[in-house]
Amino acid sequence: MSINPTDAELVAEVREWLAVNWDQGRKHDPEWLGKVVEARWAVPRWPTEWFGRGLGDAQARLVEREFKAVGAHGTGQDRSNLWANTALAYATPEFKAKIVPALLRDEVKMCLLYSEPGAGSDLAGIRTRADSHGDHFVVNGQKVWTSSAADADYGMLIARTDWDVPKHKGIGFFFLPMKQPGIDVRPLRQITDEAHFNEVFITDATVPAANLLGTPTQGWEVLQTALAYERSLMGDRARGPRSGAGGSTGDMIGLAREAGTLGDPLIRQDIARVTALRTLNGLNNARAKADLAQGSSSAIMSLGKLAMSRILHEEARLRTSILGAASLLEGPQFPRAEDANFLTLNAYFTSIGGGTDQIQRNIIGERVLGLPKEPEVDRDMPFRQVRSG
Amino acid sequence: MAEFTSDDRGALREALRRLLQDHGSEADVRRTMITDSGHDPALWRRLTDMGITGLLVGEAHGGGGGGPIEIEMVMEEAGAALLCSPLLSTGILAVGLLQGLGNAEAAARLLPAIADGSRIATVAITGTTGTWTEAGVGVTATRSGEDWTLDGTASYVTHGQLADVLLVVADTPDGTAIFEVEPSTAGVAVAALPTFDHTLRLARINFSGVPARVLASNRPAWEAVQEAMDLALVALAGEQAGGARAVLDMTVAYAKSRVQFGRAIGSFQAIKHMATDLLLETESATSAARHAARCLAENTPDAAAAISLAAFACADAFVTTTATSIQMHGGIAFTWDHPAHLYLRRARADAQLFGNSNYHRERYVQHLERQS
Ligand SMILES: Cc1cc2nc3c(=O)[nH]c(=O)nc-3n(C[C@H](O)[C@H](O)[C@H](O)COP(=O)(O)OP(=O)(O)OC[C@H]3O[C@@H](n4cnc5c(N)ncnc54)[C@H](O)[C@@H]3O)c2cc1C
Repeated sequence: MSINPTDAELVAEVREWLAVNWDQGRKHDPEWLGKVVEARWAVPRWPTEWFGRGLGDAQARLVEREFKAVGAHGTGQDRSNLWANTALAYATPEFKAKIVPALLRDEVKMCLLYSEPGAGSDLAGIRTRADSHGDHFVVNGQKVWTSSAADADYGMLIARTDWDVPKHKGIGFFFLPMKQPGIDVRPLRQITDEAHFNEVFITDATVPAANLLGTPTQGWEVLQTALAYERSLMGDRARGPRSGAGGSTGDMIGLAREAGTLGDPLIRQDIARVTALRTLNGLNNARAKADLAQGSSSAIMSLGKLAMSRILHEEARLRTSILGAASLLEGPQFPRAEDANFLTLNAYFTSIGGGTDQIQRNIIGERVLGLPKEPEVDRDMPFRQVRSG
Repeated sequence: MAEFTSDDRGALREALRRLLQDHGSEADVRRTMITDSGHDPALWRRLTDMGITGLLVGEAHGGGGGGPIEIEMVMEEAGAALLCSPLLSTGILAVGLLQGLGNAEAAARLLPAIADGSRIATVAITGTTGTWTEAGVGVTATRSGEDWTLDGTASYVTHGQLADVLLVVADTPDGTAIFEVEPSTAGVAVAALPTFDHTLRLARINFSGVPARVLASNRPAWEAVQEAMDLALVALAGEQAGGARAVLDMTVAYAKSRVQFGRAIGSFQAIKHMATDLLLETESATSAARHAARCLAENTPDAAAAISLAAFACADAFVTTTATSIQMHGGIAFTWDHPAHLYLRRARADAQLFGNSNYHRERYVQHLERQS
């Protein structure tokens, strides 16, 4: 690894490495990811003590470009791996040394134990408790809407550690081991007829104190870091059609041609309008990246998830319009209808999950535009006195 | 038509609402929608006893002699309860067509059994294009002497797999004609289509050399089909308005009870404004549906325009209301066990049957052009 390489040196190095190590058709499994981590390509923006190269954003993007050019995955995790980034920022050195490489190699499965029946948008209202017993905490409570909890090894958990301070001030953030007796995961059937998300009942589960991120009451701050990564990911990409019947997510022209409605002037107008949303979002993101590469952050960054939510809902509506009566159907025999209907429903994953559109608008209005904050009646009272529901 | 006083109507609405509370609850809907037939024969008998299945059938044929106003009202209740039944197909579309053909013999033969619920009829209109226009008809009839045979495909046939009798719209050398076919006839192949709205049943029906009885008409048969579809559209508009209202009520109740940040979510302007918009959508849909029903009942000159208006206004209102409701509920409405998606599915189905909103907007503007 060269120190402070020029762009040309860096590109030469990554190309050479890929030429030697990558071959088409190779799986993106822990073995491959292990090689990427070892060669310090997984997180090039990170410091050298933690698997990185200390590169700036612009150079890290050169690395990403080279990986993408050959179809290899595994780099750019310093942007995309929300678990590893959160751990890097706040975990104890011992826990970091254990968990971070495993996360970068995708060897451990993760889930987010944030939402509860009484605390969704108002995440600081959680009532799951973590009580300190010296070298470990004991956790009790219930989480809900926990995606992928069934096969998770760890959950990033927020739990209340102090009930006598205001709600944001008494929360701890933990890597909770999921495979233990006190954790009962019950799948919930979704409107898409899948069961990715779950209820998680936690009864006297234990978590080593070493798995705490930050101090026992610093959880809200840690959560903000984790949420920022999650939301930026959700703004970047979303799940496409389930049918796998081909046709890229945004190819409305192809869909209309196939459905025989491409000549319909109403459909044409609609395709223009909806395709523009995706294109404009792409342009916004490119501009934000350029700003970031030059060291300034852009307000656009925070708009991504909201923009994606609108794109997904609008594309699903347009697909329906293009198909007409065919959208009445479902099932593998009717992949186009299946796509339109699935995407109509799954769009709520982005407009509700990770913080609803309404909450996103509040945050953007307050943090980006500097609009006055909405008064919050229970913000400063000790949590014990807060009204729940 | 029989005279219904507003008391009669009120009593019918009340009785139906109570029946659906007792026998058409959400749990009943969920139980029924996963059965093959997708309807509950016991509930169907109760609907018959209440005079619903034969509401539109003339009294001479054992029906209630009701009209668009009564059926629109009934469908508001049906929509609110997500009633799973072939009422739209047999009691509305088929009855409308049989009464519009002006064929006394066919009416006398078929209507009494439809009215008493013992036979279920439906009308096969569109082919695989799903356009519900004369050009979209996918079945052709050929004549040899006095005998007719049918060939081709009808699709999106509502409750086609339940029907005891099919009224098939077909092309003939002399234009559109209506044929009566029993589904058990050799050459008829009825395939159930899997529907996104699990409370609806649709079928694709193939005809290959099927002998069929022509139902002579004293007017161009397509006119009678269009009229039957207009009646069905008024009924659907009622269903959409009623469905939208049920969703509005459910959502407002939730916004009052769900607490986040120490207050009911309905106290946030974002939620309050969405709720208010849903109210406007729902009220407008209700007005459009009832207005269309009245115009059709009185056969006013602007009835066609009123029906087209109701068709797209109510379809769009129901879709918007159900879609927004999910967002307003948050995660809970992303679960199968919450009713929000059942309404969304119904709304998306209703928005396609007998022509989508773009089609009805075009019809509407054509009426406006003629009037201007
Ligand atoms: C598919 C899916 C996957 C998910 N996966 C996970 C997961 O893995 N882990 C996890 O922890 N959570 C997960 N969630 C939960 C998600 O984060 C919450 O559903 C979301 O934050 C909303 O919370 P809620 O469902 O309690 O709705 P509520 O907070 O009750 O919101 C109800 C309505 O009120 C509105 N509202 C609330 N507060 C305000 C306000 N201040 N101003 C304006 N409007 C407001 C909301 O926008 C919404 O419309 C998932 C959700 C979904 C749908």
